[in-house]
Amino acid sequence: MVEILSSPLFGITLSIVAFKIGLWISQKVKNPIANPLIIAMIIVVATLKVFDIPHEYFEEGASFILMFLAPVTAVLALTIYRQRAVLMASFFPVVIGTLVGSIAAMGSVLVLSRLLGLNEAIIASLLPKSVTTAVAIALSEQMGGLPALTIASTVITGLGGNILAPFMIKAFRVKDPVAQGVAIGCCSHALGTTKAMEIGEVQGAMSSISISLSVIWTVLLVPLFL
Amino acid sequence: MKYLTQLGLIFAFCLVGDLIATLLPFAFPGSVLAMLLVLVLLSTGALKEQHLGESADFMLRNMTFFFIPPGVSIIRYTDIIHTIWWQLLVVNIVSVIICFAVTSWTVTLVIRLQRVMVGGRRG
Repeated sequence: MVEILSSPLFGITLSIVAFKIGLWISQKVKNPIANPLIIAMIIVVATLKVFDIPHEYFEEGASFILMFLAPVTAVLALTIYRQRAVLMASFFPVVIGTLVGSIAAMGSVLVLSRLLGLNEAIIASLLPKSVTTAVAIALSEQMGGLPALTIASTVITGLGGNILAPFMIKAFRVKDPVAQGVAIGCCSHALGTTKAMEIGEVQGAMSSISISLSVIWTVLLVPLFL
Repeated sequence: MKYLTQLGLIFAFCLVGDLIATLLPFAFPGSVLAMLLVLVLLSTGALKEQHLGESADFMLRNMTFFFIPPGVSIIRYTDIIHTIWWQLLVVNIVSVIICFAVTSWTVTLVIRLQRVMVGGRRG
């Protein structure tokens, strides 16, 4: 009976149902804490645990959804293109902002890790975590980090940016939509960008372009931090 | 057929991005190269918005959905995480907050400087 669930369709269907419920709850609650992604994740994990379904069964379908992460990133070009006038006007703020932001991300990881007594391998795993997973893993491996720890940190960082963005915009009194978008994209890659796109078109586009710029800065500068 | 063509184009750009990534002497993600490639093609007019059309908009509108599997995958690493979980959480979350503050203030500052310089030139 349970073998039916080993079909890739199971993981995809479960994800869609969980996402629908997550969206429904977040629209009802209307509070940034009720994050649709977090709710969907909890529903998926709880379903697997409660019905004792092997994680491998979910991964059959999950691998199809994961395959779409590259196309989803590629089509972000469309959101940047639609806001090209804003980008041209804000070229220097965006380039300088992502440079300073990438240094702040890596510098704060280094200082905080040292303060908490984490060892060099863990620091190497955490340093590149602000950029998109593919680069983060490659950089972490180059520096002798643990890829699994890098993946986990990249996801925690992205989720953190996604959930905290509306609060940080208020707390730091960031009024300019360009500044909001660049900060989200630079600190929390594509996962945070999904929130930037919910906040507004300019924020989404600036967050998207900041993903690529912060990747460039991080690749160039990460050797200086180890 | 329209949707198949759009999806085919998007997937093809991703493959080209991956190909360029393997040719580069340093680590750089194929997906980000694909994004830059599409942006260049759109800007030069070689590619039109409708070539990516509804398929691209479908992905953008439902972007959060595609991040459910990576999010769920954290539970696979609990054995590595559980000894240092709170340090990991503190470093990751506090660095996001620091990065956000520094980045947003830098962008705001540079925008202001730019306005002052442009204003100065005009005046």
